[in-house]
Amino acid sequence: MSISNNQPNKPWKDYEKILFRFFFIYFLIQVVPLDWKYYAHLFSINWADLQFSDIFYISRYTPQITGHYAAGEWGLNTLADWGTIALLALIGTSIWSITDKKSQHYNQLYYWLRVLLRYRLAIGIIAYGFIKFFPLQASYPSISNLNTSYGDFNRWKLFALSLGIVPGYETFLGLVEIIAGLLLLFRKTTTFGALIILLFTGNVFLSNLAYDGGEGIYSLYLVSIAVFLIWFDLQRLYILVALRQPVQPNQLKPVYLHAWQKNGRLVFKGLVIFFFMVLYGDKTYAAYTHGGYHYPQAKGLKGSEGIYHVSTFKLNNQEHPQSDTDSLRWQDVVFEKWTTISIKTFKKQILDSVSTEEAPVKDFDRDYELAGSGGRSYYHYTIDTANKVLHLTNKNKHYPTDQLILHYTRPDSSSLVLSGVDQRKDSVYAVLSKIIKKYLLKEAAKGRSKSISRL
Amino acid sequence: MSNKETIINVADSDNQVHQIQDNLLPSNHQKEQPVERKGWTFGQKFALRVSVIFFLIMSIPTSWDWYKNLFGINWFSIHYRDIYDIARFNPNIFQFSPKYGLLGYSEWLAILGVAIVGALIWTSIERKPKLNYDSLYYWIRVVVRYRAGIGIIGFGYTKLFPTQMPYPSLGLLNTNFGDMTAQKIYWLSVGIVPWYQVFAGLVELAAGTLLFFRKTTTLGAVLLLGALGDITYVNFAYDGGVHIYASYFVLFAVFLLWYDAQPIYNLIIRERFTLPRVYYPKLSEKWQRYTRIGLKVATIWIFLIYLFYAEVLNFKYDPYKQPAMKGVSVLRGNYHVSEFKINNQPVAYSSIDSVRWRDVAFEKWSTLTYNVNRPVKLDLSNGGGSPMRDINRTFELTGAAGGKRVFYYDADTINHVLYLQDKYVAAIKRDKGKGKKKDAANADHKKGDKNWIPKEALANIGDENLKIGAAALSTRRSRGIVEEQKDKRKRNHMILKYSTTDGNHVILTGVNDQKDSVYIVLDRYKRDYVLKDSKLVAGKY
Repeated sequence: MSISNNQPNKPWKDYEKILFRFFFIYFLIQVVPLDWKYYAHLFSINWADLQFSDIFYISRYTPQITGHYAAGEWGLNTLADWGTIALLALIGTSIWSITDKKSQHYNQLYYWLRVLLRYRLAIGIIAYGFIKFFPLQASYPSISNLNTSYGDFNRWKLFALSLGIVPGYETFLGLVEIIAGLLLLFRKTTTFGALIILLFTGNVFLSNLAYDGGEGIYSLYLVSIAVFLIWFDLQRLYILVALRQPVQPNQLKPVYLHAWQKNGRLVFKGLVIFFFMVLYGDKTYAAYTHGGYHYPQAKGLKGSEGIYHVSTFKLNNQEHPQSDTDSLRWQDVVFEKWTTISIKTFKKQILDSVSTEEAPVKDFDRDYELAGSGGRSYYHYTIDTANKVLHLTNKNKHYPTDQLILHYTRPDSSSLVLSGVDQRKDSVYAVLSKIIKKYLLKEAAKGRSKSISRL
Repeated sequence: MSNKETIINVADSDNQVHQIQDNLLPSNHQKEQPVERKGWTFGQKFALRVSVIFFLIMSIPTSWDWYKNLFGINWFSIHYRDIYDIARFNPNIFQFSPKYGLLGYSEWLAILGVAIVGALIWTSIERKPKLNYDSLYYWIRVVVRYRAGIGIIGFGYTKLFPTQMPYPSLGLLNTNFGDMTAQKIYWLSVGIVPWYQVFAGLVELAAGTLLFFRKTTTLGAVLLLGALGDITYVNFAYDGGVHIYASYFVLFAVFLLWYDAQPIYNLIIRERFTLPRVYYPKLSEKWQRYTRIGLKVATIWIFLIYLFYAEVLNFKYDPYKQPAMKGVSVLRGNYHVSEFKINNQPVAYSSIDSVRWRDVAFEKWSTLTYNVNRPVKLDLSNGGGSPMRDINRTFELTGAAGGKRVFYYDADTINHVLYLQDKYVAAIKRDKGKGKKKDAANADHKKGDKNWIPKEALANIGDENLKIGAAALSTRRSRGIVEEQKDKRKRNHMILKYSTTDGNHVILTGVNDQKDSVYIVLDRYKRDYVLKDSKLVAGKY
């Protein structure tokens, strides 16, 4: 295959050649999976039972020269990696510049580099597009989240929750990303796709900075590819719309000399679309219909879902009256629909914080509900229905020993009595009564016309 | 990579692009004929006529209030809102009721109807010596560029100096997430990151400024479309209430982009040699050139420079969505209620008690807020507008529930008495131009007790107009405060005497809004919020 160029191949200027050599090596290292650790990761995937998260992590490949690899997950690289890669590219550029005195231009390489970057960027942006399109990335707040003070969340969490309350908007944002990705799969529409990503992911980058998100570097990585892709048409567009002068179009086009080239191209494109659109889309949809990946799967104690007022509370048989200063006393207790109990106390806690998008498999590891959220202790629990006992374990990784074993009785459908021991073998006794709580967030969502005047 | 060789300089010619001779075109160009601009077809002319009428009506202020504001401005004692109100207006000829028919777009549709009828009449009466349609297109684009540019800059500045989305007050920080409307949550989600708001303001400001210049118009329109397209969707999603005005800019941006859409499509997608549309009017007369420069300079001076100055003052001394006056200095922060007596009866702490105060906070401004476990009336507006009096600045209570009470206070700091008024008050029906009915509606509210604050205390309290930084005093503020003081809607009020030495331990005694005597002991505590605050803070307290 060759790249046709209707214009005689004009020689590039020296600085253009040097810059190109640098970016060629730089982007090659950034996007081509050369990192051996990555293959170790690929082998750790259970291909027979492929999860959407497996494809998601594949889409997020970035070389991690300086980082360490933990089996089963593929993280994101850092600015230190970028620096190392830039250094390698500089060295490569020097060697290349010394040894290659003949080349007049790099039209061929430029074309293929763009193909590579187009696909890399498309895969990356579509992966995030689908987990928004099927609103998974930002979940609707849990009952515990709804009953946490605004000031008791960190910025990242508030960003996620604020998006989580409007799944329709999240779908729209996902659609924009998917469309931008699709535009990148075709040479002629590349500039438009890249422009959308520049505006969209540029905003994501700044949001990451502002909200202390953990994906600033990765979004900048995507933006940098988008900028490189736009560069190709930038001068032409500038001449047309700003200088308002006639413009020659791009003259570099692939010419297919053999049928296998044409077919090979179609097969490759088809495979990418199948794997990262069809298969991945199907898997994300499946994850969506199973209630997402942020919250645990297992169902909680039957009929317990809701928030409870703690009317009586005893520690070691000592009654603690209600108080807003007693750090030992439970203020209220939430039973989620799934196997999580959260307890509000006035004890200061160390925050558990995750600010990148992760999709843990095990219920206990699904810590979205407590990530970046203060004011409450979150417990994962298992139910021994025969003996009516709940085994609670604090999900916050800073409190691994915080465990409770509580026997439960249900005098009526709206009350629960819990009694048992905590990890220090202190006895705990609490009488819970369900609060009929109406949330303004939900009431107001029913429409302005039925506006609520009191709550 | 360079196309410089093929550039044909037509910048100084007047719409003569199709006269470029063939021999100037690159000889190896695949025999594609450049897409030449043909004359105006009937359909294009008709569409332009409709567009001209439509966008003219959309761009001309038709409300009496707009002109009243414009001619009432004291340019030597400026308030940001004076200029903002010039920049911000919606078409309002028809004012359909209900307001939200067709999602609120009925006004636009009616104007479109007028434009089509107008274009039909225009078509039927247009005589032979034809209008120059290139010129017409050029001038309507000038109108649209400036209207959109000025409008978005008005908005951009309230973000560049982050006042549009205030940082949450203590009362809001202490409100549960589920006790807020989606609209409130969106507003706050931007308010917590003032630097991000600055960035959003920069984008809007850049978009607007780029629209003032022909060469950068398309870039400005792309930015405007991207930013306001998102804001429109956000307003639908979060019930933000300003989707109409946001989509107004989307419409204007799309109209401006239309001009270059076909050439760009031709260049990038079809990969053909492309001639841009070029038409610059000849301003041959001196006065024409001076008028053009004069208008341009005036626009830039008023909306970029003078508004900048006014916004700085607003941000520093009078952030328009939060109260501007300092609260009592010793009374600030979060308080536990250690003791609570009502009519001499002590009430023990309970999170579900309907009388006992919880989560008491004195803001850094003149507000006391607390929660009780009792349904209270809600204000679901967005807490915006441009009230001058602190008591009418309601962002800290709108869209928030959970038994939250918010009181504005006037402090007699000599006798240590707070005169508190409920910031919640039944909304006035704001039917513009029906002023007399307004008064009638107010008659429903029993006249508030006029003299509930003794004269002596009033003297100690002082003039609220002068209680902000002197640099920010303005004619608009003085007039506005007088005007708003005429509002006689009844508010709940309390009179509480406070005694404290350093503010850590405070005793409030007096009469609450139910005329019950209360005795409340408050102890200050430092609440360590998880939410990290920003150093970029509006107002001086």
